[in-house]
Amino acid sequence: MTRPVNVMVTGADAPVGERLVRDLLGDSRVDRILAVPWKEAAHLPRDERLTVVPVDLSGSRRVHELLFGKARDLGIDVIAHTQLHRSAMDENERVHAYNVDAVRAILSLSERHPTIRRLVMRSDVAVYQIQRDLPILIGEHHPLNMTGKAPQWVRDRVEADVTACTRMGMTPLEIVVLRTAEVLAPGTGSQLYDYLESTVCLRPAGYDPMLNLLTIQDCAAAMQKAIHHSAQGVFNIPGADTLPLSAAIRRWGRIGVPVPGLMLAPAYRLRSRVTGRDFRYGMNRRRFHYSGVLDGTRARETLAYVPCHPVQWPTG
Amino acid sequence: MPFPPAVARILAQASQPPEALQRLEAMHFQDAGHGYDAFGMHPDFVALGTTIAGPLYDRYFRVESTGHQHIPQHGPAILVANHSGNIPIDGMMMWLDVVRHTDPPRVPRAVADHFVPSLPFVGTLFARSGMVGGSAGNARALLEAGELLMIFPEGTPGIVKPWAERYKLRRFRVGHAELAIRHGAQVVPCAVIGAEEQMPQLTTSRRLGKPFGIPEVPIPAVPVPLPVRYHLHWGEPLRLDLEHQPADADDPEIVRQAAARVQAAVQALIDRGLKARRGIFR
Repeated sequence: MTRPVNVMVTGADAPVGERLVRDLLGDSRVDRILAVPWKEAAHLPRDERLTVVPVDLSGSRRVHELLFGKARDLGIDVIAHTQLHRSAMDENERVHAYNVDAVRAILSLSERHPTIRRLVMRSDVAVYQIQRDLPILIGEHHPLNMTGKAPQWVRDRVEADVTACTRMGMTPLEIVVLRTAEVLAPGTGSQLYDYLESTVCLRPAGYDPMLNLLTIQDCAAAMQKAIHHSAQGVFNIPGADTLPLSAAIRRWGRIGVPVPGLMLAPAYRLRSRVTGRDFRYGMNRRRFHYSGVLDGTRARETLAYVPCHPVQWPTG
Repeated sequence: MPFPPAVARILAQASQPPEALQRLEAMHFQDAGHGYDAFGMHPDFVALGTTIAGPLYDRYFRVESTGHQHIPQHGPAILVANHSGNIPIDGMMMWLDVVRHTDPPRVPRAVADHFVPSLPFVGTLFARSGMVGGSAGNARALLEAGELLMIFPEGTPGIVKPWAERYKLRRFRVGHAELAIRHGAQVVPCAVIGAEEQMPQLTTSRRLGKPFGIPEVPIPAVPVPLPVRYHLHWGEPLRLDLEHQPADADDPEIVRQAAARVQAAVQALIDRGLKARRGIFR
């Protein structure tokens, strides 16, 4: 019989992290859980196996103190790193530190840590390049979005992902990067969710790309599988819903209005300024024109991950 | 799309007999969850596609097809043909020919040049009917899923051929041969006779195509295609999959030779078809 593992979950104040903590509490293969929200997270359940330590991981000193303090004391074996800044409108050094420097610090400290042996990091479909001459079905070797014009929201995700990938196989630390499809849920930083919050959703006329969407449940389930597996590497984590943008708008109960593409960026910039909404059309322009669907073959074959929680569409 | 699948279905139902649509329901289709496959194909739009292409196939171009028994009823395969006519009606006629002459119906996945998916409306409508952009990743995924690819290895230079060079194949690109060897797919050559005369061309323009990323836009001498008669000649499959190991796909010389064999097979079918033809409109 294998020894139960002790897991540290970062980003425990966000929906995915919180769900993962709850799932791990119901997992008999897990002994102790160290939940690390950015700040106080009152909504986390109370359980004797759960320790909650709010830490802002954007400073390497604080990461050090966490890993070689509470994490070492609890004998943490696996870090499930789900922390990602969620607002696309925030662009500054602090956000970069939160997204990227934290990963770098966790990696370098974990590599020499006495108990940590595995890092499961949540990355994002946004790291992939989407353009007309690239495959619709996105494999793990698909080109990354390295364009200099990409906003910090994307650049940070790519940098954090690549930072983890470059350490794979270099040290005894097992590194798993899960590139998850967009989680269509509130509070997850989903651009599409924010886009669908409007009653009328403008979309580029003449285009109707295929999207793949994930739920919090499936995202957490994929992380849980990766925590218990011994495989390393990069895995795409698709969701159970693959559908065109127009169908997503319809199923969300919204009205899709096709307009010439050139009008969309100013329209959504105005919306953002007036309502404070997070959706940035410029950041999503390509995926509103060209299809990009994660190929989950590797995750299915290696981690036995199959998405089984479809989005609960308001229109049934 | 400007309209949902239900509208496509209604349009198809309004213009096709129920048995024709019922037959289509048996087609090979991998639903990714919402009635679409991962590449955006939807059965209702396939039905609509047959509705749109049907009158052109039956009445305008009066297509005659021979050798369609060579089209595999299942498993991965690549259909390879000459490309011409200024607008890709040849692809549409081949697409419908395969749908009609396979049982259960197989929908060929036309592999289009990179610019096609970026064309507004057209790109989406084609994708709903099974077309995919011409990337190796798309083709690989479809062959691994046992689909039927339709490739025109001449590419855009083929479709903008001047009148004087009709039925002279442009040099074939080699991707189809590499795919066939690597993924164990048979190659079915096809000659399209008629399309090369449907729109005599005056000239081509690079500037007109630039906004859409089209390498060259043909300027035809006629506003609509002439009602030429199409003859589709399907040839015996080339079993590159049996003659080579998948690893041979990495050898550029083997792949080049295989592509040259495919080109020769298509040219032989064209020559035979031209000899048998009684006239452009007959």
